[in-house]
Amino acid sequence: MCTGCALLCDDIEVETEGDKVTVVHAACRKGVARMKGCSEPLECTVDAEGADMDTAIAKAASILRDAKNPLIFGHGNSSSEAQKISIGLARKTGAYIDDTSSFCQGPIVEAILQERLRTCTLDDVRHKADVIVFWGADPSNSHPRHLSRYSYFPRGKERQRGWEEDRKAITIDIRKSETAIICKDERFYQLPAGGDAEFMAALTNALSGKVPKTSFDLDSKRILGLSNIMKKAKFGAIFVGLGLVYSLEELDPLFALMDKLNEFSDFHLIPMVGQYNMRGFNHNLFAETGYINRLKFDGDSKELAHGPENSVVEVLRNKNIDAALIIGSDPLSSLPLSIARHLADIPLITIDPCNNLTTSRSAVTIPCALGGVESGGTAIRMDGVEVELKKIFDSDRLSDQEILKRITEAI
Amino acid sequence: MGFGQFLAAPEIKLKVVTYRDVFQNTAQESSRFGEDYETLSAVIRLDLKDISKLSIKEGETVILRNGSGKVVVQAQKSGYEQAHPGIAYMVNSPWSNVLVPEDTGGTGVPKFKDFEVTVQSARGASVTGIKEIF
Repeated sequence: MCTGCALLCDDIEVETEGDKVTVVHAACRKGVARMKGCSEPLECTVDAEGADMDTAIAKAASILRDAKNPLIFGHGNSSSEAQKISIGLARKTGAYIDDTSSFCQGPIVEAILQERLRTCTLDDVRHKADVIVFWGADPSNSHPRHLSRYSYFPRGKERQRGWEEDRKAITIDIRKSETAIICKDERFYQLPAGGDAEFMAALTNALSGKVPKTSFDLDSKRILGLSNIMKKAKFGAIFVGLGLVYSLEELDPLFALMDKLNEFSDFHLIPMVGQYNMRGFNHNLFAETGYINRLKFDGDSKELAHGPENSVVEVLRNKNIDAALIIGSDPLSSLPLSIARHLADIPLITIDPCNNLTTSRSAVTIPCALGGVESGGTAIRMDGVEVELKKIFDSDRLSDQEILKRITEAI
Repeated sequence: MGFGQFLAAPEIKLKVVTYRDVFQNTAQESSRFGEDYETLSAVIRLDLKDISKLSIKEGETVILRNGSGKVVVQAQKSGYEQAHPGIAYMVNSPWSNVLVPEDTGGTGVPKFKDFEVTVQSARGASVTGIKEIF
């Protein structure tokens, strides 16, 4: 199982020498790089000095115990078992807990879990989908095997003629991406920045038999043509990328479009989740609390606070936290620098297989096993299907699950 | 090398759109501190007219500035068939994140894919290294 992204490709074969993956068959280039491991593995340190695991865990526990408002963040590159321990740790320490879905696919996953958006599996898409829409998504770069394994090229049970005759793929984007080039010019709809909601409304109008108009003068005939293709779909799938998520101020236009589409056809939506188990974190936290992210536990009571003010971005902007535990993530790289800067001012603990910008600023760094290679567990694919990660070989490094368990026990 | 030397060069305001690139992402998996990651990340892709306005050649460095920060990256042609003056593209990376505004309107979601920068030639200056970013 490749943990390079949330497709979690399960047809990977590897060759190993000792505790190294030397050859990876079938994965994309990103997956190969993930499974072979990074060139700069993380060392176990306390205050930038080499330390043994027991000392690092004791120091991490001490930081979290002393903090009034700690943050626990990351989780997208952890197994579901590790995530559940992390949720318990947040509850125990009265911490804020969040993950990357907080500033990417969270609203879409939440709407699916609340059954506001209809979804399906990638296997359904492979076997049945005849109309596929990539909206603000470029899987050729973000999920390189998406088109070949599931959405466009494969022969499925009900799609034996594949992409040549049986499938129509449409790209809606702000730029002509590599995916748009594959889907051909006539099926590429280029929008101005922030134009998605307006285009969505125009498309919904076209589906209702009204003349679709946009302030950016997109050809009405082309919008009507798209609405006809979507109306006639036997099984449609919309893959939502970050381009669309960031463009929509609210999801109502998307709900309206999906509702209208399903008056005529059978349409589904899948979020293009990046990190391999981001969706797992959303599911696991939702099962325990009814929320998918952006939570603050109250250590002494069972109360919890939820909302944007508890998101990783806002607690960093407002300097609400006095310590942070980062698991399998690099917020100093992935968040705006002006926001992430506060992390360098507080005691920081990172658990990760590799060195990154955040580890370089951490008081405690704890190396962990690489998920899907040196440690196993379960994870939830971008389409909500739970899969088992099999460990390929034993490693000296503990899993993040074990490290989190030991920190929790030490507290 | 101070930034004062760039004062005479023409400067233009551009809207930046960020995107993902599998080659850069692969380099990131191998090492955040590697040369490949920097080469594939510290780049801005420009329309030919904007390159001309800046009086630069492809491959030269430019300084990008806004209220959030400043960073020196390499300028390249975007390669898109359709002209897009006023819009530039950057792969999502710590270099683009230097320039993403702090203000979120309280939503918890920064505008990663849509922000403005002032661009100016930084001919002769080196690309900002990842360790200089923070």
